[in-house]
Amino acid sequence: MSDSEYNEEEVLARASQGDRDAFGQLYERYLERIFNYVYYRTGNVHDAEDLTARVFQRAMNHIKNYTDRGVPFSAWLYRIAHNLVANWHRDRSRKQEIPLDDLPILPTKGDHPEKNLVRSQEQEALLRMIRKLPPERQNLLILKFVEDMSNAEIGAIMSRSEGAVKSLYHRTLLALRDQLEDQNLNLEGE
Amino acid sequence: MTTRKTDSTREENLDAIEAHLAGTLKPVAPPNGILQRLHGRIQMPSRREIVLRLTDWRRLFFVFGGVMSGMLLLVTLARMFYYLGGRKDAM
Repeated sequence: MSDSEYNEEEVLARASQGDRDAFGQLYERYLERIFNYVYYRTGNVHDAEDLTARVFQRAMNHIKNYTDRGVPFSAWLYRIAHNLVANWHRDRSRKQEIPLDDLPILPTKGDHPEKNLVRSQEQEALLRMIRKLPPERQNLLILKFVEDMSNAEIGAIMSRSEGAVKSLYHRTLLALRDQLEDQNLNLEGE
Repeated sequence: MTTRKTDSTREENLDAIEAHLAGTLKPVAPPNGILQRLHGRIQMPSRREIVLRLTDWRRLFFVFGGVMSGMLLLVTLARMFYYLGGRKDAM
Protein backbone atom coordinates (compact mmCIF):
# COMPACT_ATOMS: atom_id res chain seq x y z
CA MET A 1 0.00 0.00 0.00
CA SER A 2 1.41 3.39 -0.98
CA ASP A 3 1.65 6.25 1.49
CA SER A 4 -1.12 8.15 -0.28
CA GLU A 5 -3.54 5.24 0.15
CA TYR A 6 -2.58 4.62 3.76
CA ASN A 7 -4.80 6.34 6.28
CA GLU A 8 -3.46 5.54 9.73
CA GLU A 9 -6.54 6.76 11.61
CA GLU A 10 -8.80 4.51 9.59
CA VAL A 11 -6.43 1.54 9.85
CA LEU A 12 -6.14 2.09 13.61
CA ALA A 13 -9.90 2.24 14.01
CA ARG A 14 -10.27 -1.09 12.17
CA ALA A 15 -7.39 -2.68 14.07
CA SER A 16 -8.87 -1.66 17.42
CA GLN A 17 -12.10 -3.42 16.40
CA GLY A 18 -10.18 -6.65 15.98
CA ASP A 19 -9.46 -6.47 12.24
CA ARG A 20 -6.30 -8.58 11.84
CA ASP A 21 -5.59 -7.32 8.33
CA ALA A 22 -5.57 -3.74 9.59
CA PHE A 23 -3.18 -4.70 12.36
CA GLY A 24 -1.07 -6.42 9.71
CA GLN A 25 -0.76 -3.11 7.88
CA LEU A 26 0.43 -1.37 11.04
CA TYR A 27 2.83 -4.23 11.62
CA GLU A 28 4.31 -3.96 8.13
CA ARG A 29 4.73 -0.24 8.59
CA TYR A 30 6.47 -0.28 11.95
CA LEU A 31 8.28 -3.63 12.08
CA GLU A 32 11.68 -2.43 10.88
CA ARG A 33 11.57 0.73 12.97
CA ILE A 34 10.82 -1.14 16.17
CA PHE A 35 13.43 -3.76 15.32
CA ASN A 36 16.03 -1.01 14.84
CA TYR A 37 15.15 0.60 18.14
CA VAL A 38 15.30 -2.67 20.08
CA TYR A 39 18.45 -3.76 18.27
CA TYR A 40 20.35 -0.65 19.29
CA ARG A 41 19.02 -0.83 22.86
CA THR A 42 19.92 -4.50 23.36
CA GLY A 43 22.95 -4.82 21.10
CA ASN A 44 21.86 -8.32 20.27
CA VAL A 45 20.12 -9.54 17.11
CA HIS A 46 18.44 -12.55 18.74
CA ASP A 47 17.00 -10.61 21.65
CA ALA A 48 16.00 -7.84 19.25
CA GLU A 49 14.02 -10.41 17.26
CA ASP A 50 12.36 -11.83 20.34
CA LEU A 51 11.53 -8.46 21.87
CA THR A 52 10.24 -7.06 18.58
CA ALA A 53 7.81 -9.96 18.30
CA ARG A 54 6.70 -9.37 21.90
CA VAL A 55 6.18 -5.66 21.24
CA PHE A 56 3.74 -6.45 18.44
CA GLN A 57 2.05 -9.24 20.34
CA ARG A 58 1.47 -6.90 23.26
CA ALA A 59 0.29 -4.16 20.90
CA MET A 60 -2.12 -6.60 19.25
CA ASN A 61 -3.54 -7.68 22.60
CA HIS A 62 -3.96 -4.12 23.86
CA ILE A 63 -4.79 -2.18 20.73
CA LYS A 64 -8.39 -1.85 21.94
CA ASN A 65 -7.07 0.23 24.82
CA TYR A 66 -5.20 2.56 22.48
CA THR A 67 -6.99 5.84 22.19
CA ASP A 68 -5.56 8.72 20.26
CA ARG A 69 -5.07 11.45 22.87
CA GLY A 70 -2.66 13.44 20.77
CA VAL A 71 -0.07 10.68 21.17
CA PRO A 72 0.72 9.10 17.81
CA PHE A 73 0.45 5.33 17.43
CA SER A 74 4.20 5.17 16.81
CA ALA A 75 4.80 6.78 20.22
CA TRP A 76 2.55 4.18 21.84
CA LEU A 77 4.50 1.39 20.14
CA TYR A 78 7.86 2.84 21.15
CA ARG A 79 6.67 3.07 24.75
CA ILE A 80 5.78 -0.61 24.69
CA ALA A 81 9.20 -1.34 23.22
CA HIS A 82 10.87 0.88 25.82
CA ASN A 83 9.10 -0.93 28.69
CA LEU A 84 9.98 -4.37 27.35
CA VAL A 85 13.61 -3.37 26.82
CA ALA A 86 13.73 -1.95 30.37
CA ASN A 87 12.37 -5.26 31.75
CA TRP A 88 14.90 -7.13 29.64
CA HIS A 89 17.79 -5.07 31.08
CA ARG A 90 16.44 -5.57 34.62
CA ASP A 91 16.21 -9.34 34.15
CA ARG A 92 19.73 -9.46 32.78
CA SER A 93 21.16 -7.47 35.67
CA ARG A 94 19.37 -9.77 38.14
CA LYS A 95 20.82 -12.83 36.47
CA GLN A 96 24.23 -11.11 36.47
CA GLU A 97 24.97 -12.35 33.00
CA ILE A 98 28.17 -11.59 31.15
CA PRO A 99 28.01 -8.14 29.57
CA LEU A 100 26.81 -7.96 25.99
CA ASP A 101 29.24 -8.23 23.18
CA ASP A 102 29.57 -5.27 20.94
CA LEU A 103 26.79 -4.74 18.48
CA PRO A 104 27.12 -7.31 15.73
CA ILE A 105 27.37 -5.76 12.33
CA LEU A 106 24.15 -5.67 10.40
CA PRO A 107 24.05 -4.05 6.99
CA THR A 108 23.10 -0.42 7.24
CA LYS A 109 20.69 0.89 4.68
CA GLY A 110 22.22 2.54 1.67
CA ASP A 111 25.73 1.32 2.34
CA HIS A 112 27.76 -0.91 0.09
CA PRO A 113 28.19 -4.42 1.53
CA GLU A 114 31.98 -4.03 1.56
CA LYS A 115 31.60 -0.90 3.63
CA ASN A 116 29.54 -2.78 6.19
CA LEU A 117 32.27 -5.30 6.80
CA VAL A 118 34.49 -2.77 8.41
CA ARG A 119 33.10 -0.69 11.22
CA SER A 120 35.80 1.64 12.30
CA GLN A 121 37.27 1.48 15.76
CA GLU A 122 36.00 4.99 16.41
CA GLN A 123 32.44 3.90 15.75
CA GLU A 124 32.88 0.87 17.99
CA ALA A 125 34.21 3.09 20.75
CA LEU A 126 31.33 5.51 20.31
CA LEU A 127 28.77 2.68 20.42
CA ARG A 128 30.28 1.40 23.66
CA MET A 129 29.99 4.87 25.16
CA ILE A 130 26.40 5.25 24.02
CA ARG A 131 25.51 1.94 25.64
CA LYS A 132 26.89 3.20 28.94
CA LEU A 133 24.62 6.26 28.89
CA PRO A 134 21.41 6.31 30.97
CA PRO A 135 18.49 4.67 29.11
CA GLU A 136 16.64 7.91 28.35
CA ARG A 137 19.73 9.35 26.69
CA GLN A 138 20.22 6.19 24.66
CA ASN A 139 16.56 6.42 23.61
CA LEU A 140 17.02 10.01 22.56
CA LEU A 141 20.06 9.27 20.39
CA ILE A 142 18.45 6.23 18.76
CA LEU A 143 15.22 8.06 17.99
CA LYS A 144 17.11 11.08 16.67
CA PHE A 145 19.68 9.36 14.50
CA VAL A 146 18.36 5.90 13.69
CA GLU A 147 14.69 6.85 13.41
CA ASP A 148 15.43 10.37 12.16
CA MET A 149 12.78 11.93 14.39
CA SER A 150 12.36 15.58 15.26
CA ASN A 151 12.62 16.82 18.85
CA ALA A 152 8.83 17.21 18.94
CA GLU A 153 8.28 13.57 17.87
CA ILE A 154 10.85 12.38 20.40
CA GLY A 155 9.13 14.48 23.05
CA ALA A 156 5.81 12.75 22.31
CA ILE A 157 7.42 9.37 22.87
CA MET A 158 9.42 10.35 25.94
CA SER A 159 6.62 12.46 27.47
CA ARG A 160 8.80 15.56 27.47
CA SER A 161 8.52 18.98 25.91
CA GLU A 162 10.43 19.81 22.75
CA GLY A 163 12.67 22.16 24.76
CA ALA A 164 13.41 19.49 27.33
CA VAL A 165 14.43 17.08 24.57
CA LYS A 166 16.71 19.74 23.05
CA SER A 167 18.30 20.36 26.42
CA LEU A 168 18.74 16.65 27.15
CA TYR A 169 20.33 16.21 23.73
CA HIS A 170 22.85 18.97 24.42
CA ARG A 171 23.70 17.49 27.82
CA THR A 172 24.13 14.08 26.19
CA LEU A 173 26.58 15.50 23.67
CA LEU A 174 28.52 17.17 26.48
CA ALA A 175 28.61 13.89 28.42
CA LEU A 176 29.92 12.06 25.37
CA ARG A 177 32.54 14.73 24.80
CA ASP A 178 33.70 14.47 28.42
CA GLN A 179 33.92 10.70 28.12
CA LEU A 180 35.95 11.02 24.93
CA GLU A 181 38.29 13.48 26.60
CA ASP A 182 38.64 11.20 29.64
CA GLN A 183 39.63 8.34 27.39
CA ASN A 184 41.86 10.55 25.25
CA LEU A 185 39.94 9.61 22.16
CA ASN A 186 39.95 11.98 19.24
CA LEU A 187 37.26 11.67 16.64
CA GLU A 188 38.50 12.37 13.18
CA GLY A 189 36.19 14.23 10.80
CA GLU A 190 33.55 12.12 9.02
CA MET B 1 41.80 34.86 24.14
CA THR B 2 43.03 31.35 24.89
CA THR B 3 39.82 30.53 26.78
CA ARG B 4 37.72 31.68 23.82
CA LYS B 5 39.80 29.54 21.48
CA THR B 6 39.44 26.51 23.78
CA ASP B 7 35.66 27.07 23.94
CA SER B 8 35.38 27.20 20.18
CA THR B 9 37.45 24.00 19.89
CA ARG B 10 35.16 22.26 22.39
CA GLU B 11 32.13 23.44 20.37
CA GLU B 12 33.75 22.04 17.24
CA ASN B 13 34.20 18.77 19.14
CA LEU B 14 30.42 18.67 19.68
CA ASP B 15 29.89 19.06 15.95
CA ALA B 16 32.36 16.24 15.31
CA ILE B 17 30.56 14.02 17.84
CA GLU B 18 27.24 14.79 16.16
CA ALA B 19 28.70 13.89 12.78
CA HIS B 20 30.04 10.63 14.17
CA LEU B 21 26.74 9.81 15.83
CA ALA B 22 25.05 10.27 12.47
CA GLY B 23 27.60 7.94 10.89
CA THR B 24 27.36 5.33 13.63
CA LEU B 25 23.66 5.20 14.49
CA LYS B 26 22.26 4.24 11.12
CA PRO B 27 19.11 2.24 10.43
CA VAL B 28 19.94 -1.42 10.03
CA ALA B 29 18.24 -3.81 7.68
CA PRO B 30 17.01 -6.86 9.63
CA PRO B 31 18.16 -10.09 7.93
CA ASN B 32 15.46 -11.76 5.81
CA GLY B 33 15.38 -14.81 8.06
CA ILE B 34 14.48 -12.63 11.03
CA LEU B 35 11.75 -10.85 9.09
CA GLN B 36 10.22 -14.16 8.01
CA ARG B 37 10.32 -15.57 11.53
CA LEU B 38 8.76 -12.39 12.90
CA HIS B 39 5.97 -12.60 10.32
CA GLY B 40 5.36 -16.19 11.38
CA ARG B 41 5.32 -15.33 15.09
CA ILE B 42 2.88 -12.49 14.82
CA GLN B 43 0.37 -14.64 12.94
CA MET B 44 -0.26 -16.67 16.06
CA PRO B 45 -3.97 -16.81 16.90
CA SER B 46 -5.07 -14.36 19.53
CA ARG B 47 -6.47 -15.49 22.88
CA ARG B 48 -9.94 -14.55 21.70
CA GLU B 49 -9.60 -16.80 18.66
CA ILE B 50 -8.42 -19.70 20.80
CA VAL B 51 -11.42 -19.22 23.08
CA LEU B 52 -13.72 -19.10 20.05
CA ARG B 53 -12.21 -22.31 18.72
CA LEU B 54 -12.68 -24.04 22.05
CA THR B 55 -16.33 -23.04 22.19
CA ASP B 56 -16.95 -24.35 18.67
CA TRP B 57 -18.26 -27.77 19.75
CA ARG B 58 -18.54 -29.25 16.29
CA ARG B 59 -14.96 -28.42 15.46
CA LEU B 60 -13.81 -29.63 18.86
CA PHE B 61 -15.68 -32.91 18.31
CA PHE B 62 -13.87 -33.52 15.01
CA VAL B 63 -10.47 -32.63 16.49
CA PHE B 64 -11.04 -34.87 19.51
CA GLY B 65 -12.39 -37.69 17.29
CA GLY B 66 -9.39 -37.37 14.98
CA VAL B 67 -6.90 -37.54 17.84
CA MET B 68 -8.65 -40.59 19.41
CA SER B 69 -8.85 -42.40 16.04
CA GLY B 70 -5.16 -41.75 15.42
CA MET B 71 -4.21 -43.06 18.86
CA LEU B 72 -6.39 -46.16 18.39
CA LEU B 73 -4.73 -46.85 15.07
CA LEU B 74 -1.28 -46.59 16.66
CA VAL B 75 -2.27 -48.94 19.50
CA THR B 76 -3.71 -51.45 17.00
CA LEU B 77 -0.53 -51.37 14.91
CA ALA B 78 1.62 -51.80 18.02
CA ARG B 79 -0.50 -54.80 19.13
CA MET B 80 -0.28 -56.29 15.65
CA PHE B 81 3.51 -56.10 15.57
CA TYR B 82 3.70 -57.46 19.11
CA TYR B 83 1.47 -60.40 18.15
CA LEU B 84 3.39 -61.12 14.93
CA GLY B 85 6.72 -60.89 16.78
CA GLY B 86 5.44 -63.29 19.46
CA ARG B 87 4.31 -65.85 16.89
CA LYS B 88 7.67 -65.74 15.14
CA ASP B 89 9.47 -66.43 18.44
CA ALA B 90 7.10 -69.36 19.23
CA MET B 91 7.90 -71.01 15.86
